[in-house]
Parts: sequence; C-alpha cells; structure tokens
Amino acid sequence: MDFLNPVINGFSVVLEPTNLLYCLVGVVIGMLIGVLPGLGPAATIAILLPLTYGVEPVTAIIMLAGIFYGAQYGGTITSVLLRLPGEASSVVTVFDGYQMARQGRAGTALGLAAIGSFVGGTAAIIGLTFLAPLVASFALDFGPPEYSALALLGILLVATISSGAKAKALIAAAIGLLLATVGRDMFTGESRFTFGSLQLADGIDFVPIAMGIFGLGEILYNLEERHRAAKAPSKVSNVWPSKGDLKQASGAVGRGSVLGFFLGILPGGGATIASMASYAMEKKRAKQPERFGKGAPEGVAGPETANNAAATSSFIPLLTLGIPANATMALMFGALLIQGVTPGPQLVEQNPELFWGVVNSMYIGNILLLIMSLPLVGIFVRILRVRAAILAPITALITLLGAYTINNSMFDVTLVVVFGVVGYLMKKFGFEPGPLVLAFVLGELLENSLRRSLLVFGGDPTGFLTRPISATLLLVFVLVAVLPGIRSLIAKRKGTAAPAGATNKIEEKV
Amino acid sequence: MKHFPTRRAVLGTASAFTLLALTACGGNVAGGTAANTSKYPTGPVTLTVGQAAGGSTDLIARALAEGATKTLGAPIPVVNKPGANGALATKELAGKPADGQELVLLTASLITITPLAVSAEEAVNIDDLDVIAGLSQDDYVLVASTDSGFKSFKDVTDAGRNVTFGTTGVGTGSQLAQTVLFKQANVQGTDVPFDSGKPALTAVMGNQVELATIQLGEAMPQIEAGKVAPLLVFSEERNSFLPDVPSAKEAGYDVPVAQYRAVAAPKGTPQDVKDKLLAAFKETFKTDAYKEFNEKNMLTPKELSGEEVVTEWKGYAAKYKELVEKYNISLSGNK
Repeated sequence: MDFLNPVINGFSVVLEPTNLLYCLVGVVIGMLIGVLPGLGPAATIAILLPLTYGVEPVTAIIMLAGIFYGAQYGGTITSVLLRLPGEASSVVTVFDGYQMARQGRAGTALGLAAIGSFVGGTAAIIGLTFLAPLVASFALDFGPPEYSALALLGILLVATISSGAKAKALIAAAIGLLLATVGRDMFTGESRFTFGSLQLADGIDFVPIAMGIFGLGEILYNLEERHRAAKAPSKVSNVWPSKGDLKQASGAVGRGSVLGFFLGILPGGGATIASMASYAMEKKRAKQPERFGKGAPEGVAGPETANNAAATSSFIPLLTLGIPANATMALMFGALLIQGVTPGPQLVEQNPELFWGVVNSMYIGNILLLIMSLPLVGIFVRILRVRAAILAPITALITLLGAYTINNSMFDVTLVVVFGVVGYLMKKFGFEPGPLVLAFVLGELLENSLRRSLLVFGGDPTGFLTRPISATLLLVFVLVAVLPGIRSLIAKRKGTAAPAGATNKIEEKV
Repeated sequence: MKHFPTRRAVLGTASAFTLLALTACGGNVAGGTAANTSKYPTGPVTLTVGQAAGGSTDLIARALAEGATKTLGAPIPVVNKPGANGALATKELAGKPADGQELVLLTASLITITPLAVSAEEAVNIDDLDVIAGLSQDDYVLVASTDSGFKSFKDVTDAGRNVTFGTTGVGTGSQLAQTVLFKQANVQGTDVPFDSGKPALTAVMGNQVELATIQLGEAMPQIEAGKVAPLLVFSEERNSFLPDVPSAKEAGYDVPVAQYRAVAAPKGTPQDVKDKLLAAFKETFKTDAYKEFNEKNMLTPKELSGEEVVTEWKGYAAKYKELVEKYNISLSGNK
C-alpha cells in the first residue's frame, strides 16, 4: 500500500510536540468561542490569522482547523445546558437537547453529541483520506478552463444555496466580484479603480477584508445585542449514554455522517446546513415524529454528527482544488496564502507533510475534544459571565494589531476598519457576509482563468466544451441554475404551493 | 524554510528599537551627520523587502541579513512590505532618513523592465537611491511542455505555427525575454500571463501552454524530473547549473534578460556608512553558509559595487527600451 506512506508520515508530523500543542490550543480556543454566542469560528480565525504568521504553515493550519471543528463541539454545550446556541450549527440541537436537559438527561445529551461528533468527524476524515488523492491525480488536467468553470459553479452555489434571503446573497456576491476587480489588470498592466494609489495597485488584500467583515464587523454587531444573563446550567451527570440511547441514536449518527460529509463538500454548504438537514431527515424518518422537540436522542445525535462531518469534509474542496466551500474555508485559504502555500490540486503531491499533517491532526483533535469536552463543561460555561464590554475592546484591539503585522502597513488597518463598518452594516440589514467574501476570492480566480483560457483557445469560447472536466462542470452549472425554475414550474402545474422551508429563517453564521 | 521561528517577536522589538533610533536621529540629522557616523550602526538596521515572505527575493534578503548581522554588529530584521512588485516599499524607503538604518532589497526588473509597462509616476527611479552592493544573478530559462514535442529552440522556429507561452506576469523579465525572442525569431506566439512562476510552470506541465519562461531555481526540480524540457537560458553566458543548455546569445538572439538583486539605501547616505555596510556584506559573501545558499537556489554571485550596479542596470534599462521600440512591443499586452 504505497499510497498510505505519506498518510503515515503525516502522523509523525502531527505527533511533533509543537504541532500537538497547537492542535490542543486550537481545539481549546475553538471550544471557548463555540461556547460564546456571537463570535463564530470565522470571526476567530480572521482575528487570529496574523498570529499564525510566525509559525510553520502546517502548524498554523492545524491550529486554525482545530478552532473550526472545536467550535462545533463547544456550541453544543450551551445549546443543551442553557438553550443558548453558541454556534449557528448548533441551533437545531436546542430543540431536543435542552428538553433532554430539563428531563435530567443533560449528560446523556452531551455524551451522545460528543460521540456523534467524534464518529461524524472521523468518518469524514476517512472520506477525505481516500477522496483527496483521487482528486489530486487529476491535478495537471486542471488548467485555466477547468478553474473558470469551477469558479463559476462555486459562485453560483454560494449565492443560491446559502441560507437567508437569496436576493441579498446575490447582491453581496456581486459586491464581492466588484471588489475583486480592483488593482492592476493582470493582463494589460492597466490600473483599475486604484485612484492613482500604489497601495491599491495589487488589488485589495483578502485578509483585511476578512478581518474587517468577519472580525471587526462581528464584534461591533455583537455589542448591539443585549446579552442574556447566563443562567445556572443544568446539572450534568451520567455522561455515558445507556445502551438503549445508543441503539436509538446509532442510525441517526450513521445517516448524519453521510449527509454531513456530502453537504460539507458542496460549495455554499457547511456545518449549519448539514445540521438542519439532518434534523429534518431524522424527524421525517422517525416512527413517532411527535417525540421531536420533547427530548428525542436522535434529534441531538443526528445534527451534531452531521455538523462535525461537514466541518471536516469542507476541507476537501479547499485542499484538493483550492476552492473554498464556505466562509471559514476562505479564511483557511487566506491563511495558506500568507504562509506562501497556494492550495490546489498539487498540494497533496508537493506538500504531502502539510496536507496529511493537517488531515491527521483532525483525528488527534477529535480525540482531544472527546476527552476534554465533558469534564470541562463547567469551566466553559463560566466564560459566559465575561461581559461583552470587556471582551469586545480586547478582541477589537487584537484584530487591529494583527492587521498591521501582516504587511507592516497602516493602510491595511484602515481597510480593516472600513470593512468592519461594512460588515456591521451588512449584518444589521440582514446581508450575509459569506457570499461577499467567497465571491471576492473566486472572482479573481474566475476573471484570470477565463481570460487565460480565452487566450489559449484563441478567443473561441467553445473550447470550454471540448475539455471533459470543464464541459462537465459547465453542465452541472446549467443544471443548478435551471433546476429550481423547472421544479417550481412543475409544482405550479400540480397546483401545490411549494412548502416554505422553515429552515431559511436560521441565520448562517459559519 | 523558515529560519526565524520567532520572527514576529524579533520584529516587534526591532521595530520599537528602530522607532527609538529614528526619533533619536531626528536631532542628529539637523546637527550634522559627520560627527555621528562613526557610531554607525546606532541600532537595528531594517532591511525592507518589497515582496512577500517565502519568495526568492525574500530568501536572499534573509540569507544576507543573517550573515551581515554578525559582521555589522547590529541586528538586521527583514520586514516584508509587498505591493506593486516592490515599488511601494522602494518608494517608501526613498523618503526615509539617509542614515543607513533603513535599507531595501532592490530587484533590477523594477528599475529596468517595470517602467516599460506602467506609467511614469508608478515607476521607481534608481537615482532616488544609493545602491550599496550588488548581490546575485537569477537566470530565466525557457521551458517546453512534453506534449509540444519541442526539444530545442530550433524546433520552435521550425514548427511554423502559433505557439502559446506562459509568462510570470505583465512587466516581468519573463514576458520581456519571450516577446523579444519570438519577434527576433519570427515566431508567432500568444502571451498568457500567470501570477508568478509556479502557476506558469504548472501550466506547462499540464500542457495548458506549450512554453514558459521562469526563474531557474523554480524550474530546476521539474527539469531534472524530465517533466519540462529546457530550451534556452537568457543569460549572456551559459548558466553553470545548466551547462548543456545553450544561451539565447549562442543561438543567435540578442535578449540578455536576467533578474539581478542589490541592496540600496535612501539617497544621500554618508560615504563611511556606505563603506561600513559594503564591508559587512563583503564579509558575508565570503562565508560558506551564504555561498551554499546561492548554490542551493541556483543563484550566480554578482557581487558588484554600488556604482557598477547603477551603470549596469541603467545599461539594461536603455537596452530593453531600445529592444521594445525596435520590435514595436507593448508589454502592457493587447490594449
């Protein structure tokens, strides 16, 4: 089994003391911010991005990844104990998790969630391990035409699949695309929207945009929300679920793993959508759906498994194709770029220790989380008592300091402040920042790849259809763009109004 | 690759020191520099790099700084300020006090080629700087994809068809070298710009483009692996790391393009400060560690004096200007 060699070498990378330490730090920070409502993993990663500059790339990504999946664990704790979802992806856990806690089964709910998360995360890592080399074997076939098609598909999916209002998501994505055009034209050297400023000659950097919109914007927005005083959490006892509970939940865990894995890979998908879809699926499949909302173990196990599986599998498009599937992955993309690593199909081959180091760190991180999450519940809950008036200025300061250190540039700090205000206003008026940031990243890729392809094709756009991968991707693009229209047409003909999805109301915070 | 695990911490303290040093020098400049230069360096000497960390320019700066820290007797923190191909950092440095505490790592393309592609106010003038020392030469190599079937440049000229070629961007040596070469050889080519050397090389390996010109250090692993075929080097003589590949001059073409690098200070830096710096760099050039670094990165030492660098670079700037005018080439593509 030759292809397993780099996988095993990856473990030796993770087991280096520094990497283990950063993995631990990452998952602890992740759990912390998972417990805190408001600050999500995207905001935290945006704020901490500059701190990773001084360490090795693999160590940096191991920590940031730890924050991401750690947050999925942490969010569960407050959902179950306080009916206060720390993360958007744990919103549905509230329904049954809190009810279980009220029935004195808080320990069982947390135990189920932890076990489910572990299984879901592990299943997704195994999927990642086998799928990534497969995708990477096509690495050299991915030229400009393929990237154009992929970026196009990515932007469409991001703008249409994300929860929340579609029109607003499209507007945000359009702004992102516009921002991507700033800077010196790659092909003619012409300056675009730079207003004669050399600072803008290379375009707007991705990191200040992300730090502003996700970091500062999120901090400002949270200041406005009145925080509920932390209630005394329910008592946690008997963490290990009984055999009966496990049996009841095992199906939900299995289905959640598969569902989460696939929803995580999809651009625009991610942990939040996966958890909601899993809850809906469990409720539909159940023999007595009326038990849901009254403390059904499947209602906790399913979504918690799915959100962790999705959090892990969303690394697949990033690490294998260089396409971030959601906002958090866009930040990972930024982190890799800061480190001088361009994620793409060649990452597995050229940087095997980075790739497998990060992937394998997720096994370790998941085990760490499983060990820590239950004994430390009490400590984490106490953090909720820290007042926003203390927390917000500190985080804002760290953000601005960090923004300066990346390029030693005051201009970047100004950008963070400007985009912080933009991010705040977007949140306030119900625009999700995710599509903007993703469209910004993909917009540059789309423009450059498209123009490069047309140069290679001698200006003939039918060239895209002569290459199997780009033709397939474009076909999928057309299907995704047209299908909803056709479906609603069919629905109208049948005379049945499409049922409005209640899930749309839940805000995506990933 | 990273020799500076605690770079952040070093930088933080270093920049604080620099700030102190700068404010201290504010009075000194007015009071006359002659009395103070004997104490040079008065604190850390910052070496600014106009490119991102991890690139070849950055690596050269770090190798030089590491060696010269010992010989100069002061820490030399490397600070990256990427933007506009280095124009941003260089212009900023030109406005700093000329006391030798602030240096920049200068790339020749910024002086010799970039002005051909951008407007005058975006370009950097070498006369606004005092060049301290030349460092090394980084050669460009023309490589061909395996599917193209090209084994030598003659195959390209004999093909008699339009070829696609990747460059490392608009206004780079890679673009200049290829466009001039193809004009001289009467080859029809489509210019496909990439962001940097790596994606251009990948495109050749994946047969998205047939040819590309990239820096030797970047191309070498794939040349050795046989994934791309080297056709020409653009230096005036054969490159010692690639002895079997002819130079463009040998093949009968007049395109002497390479990337050179040098260290510069703001204009008006006192002579004895410049001398001290030059001496410190010369010591570094002699060390085994620095020599090994050059070898590992396929850099040919070109350790010239400041005056020689200015003369040579101005010569290249004039030469390139003449070439693009003669062949009616616009580096800014098809506007």
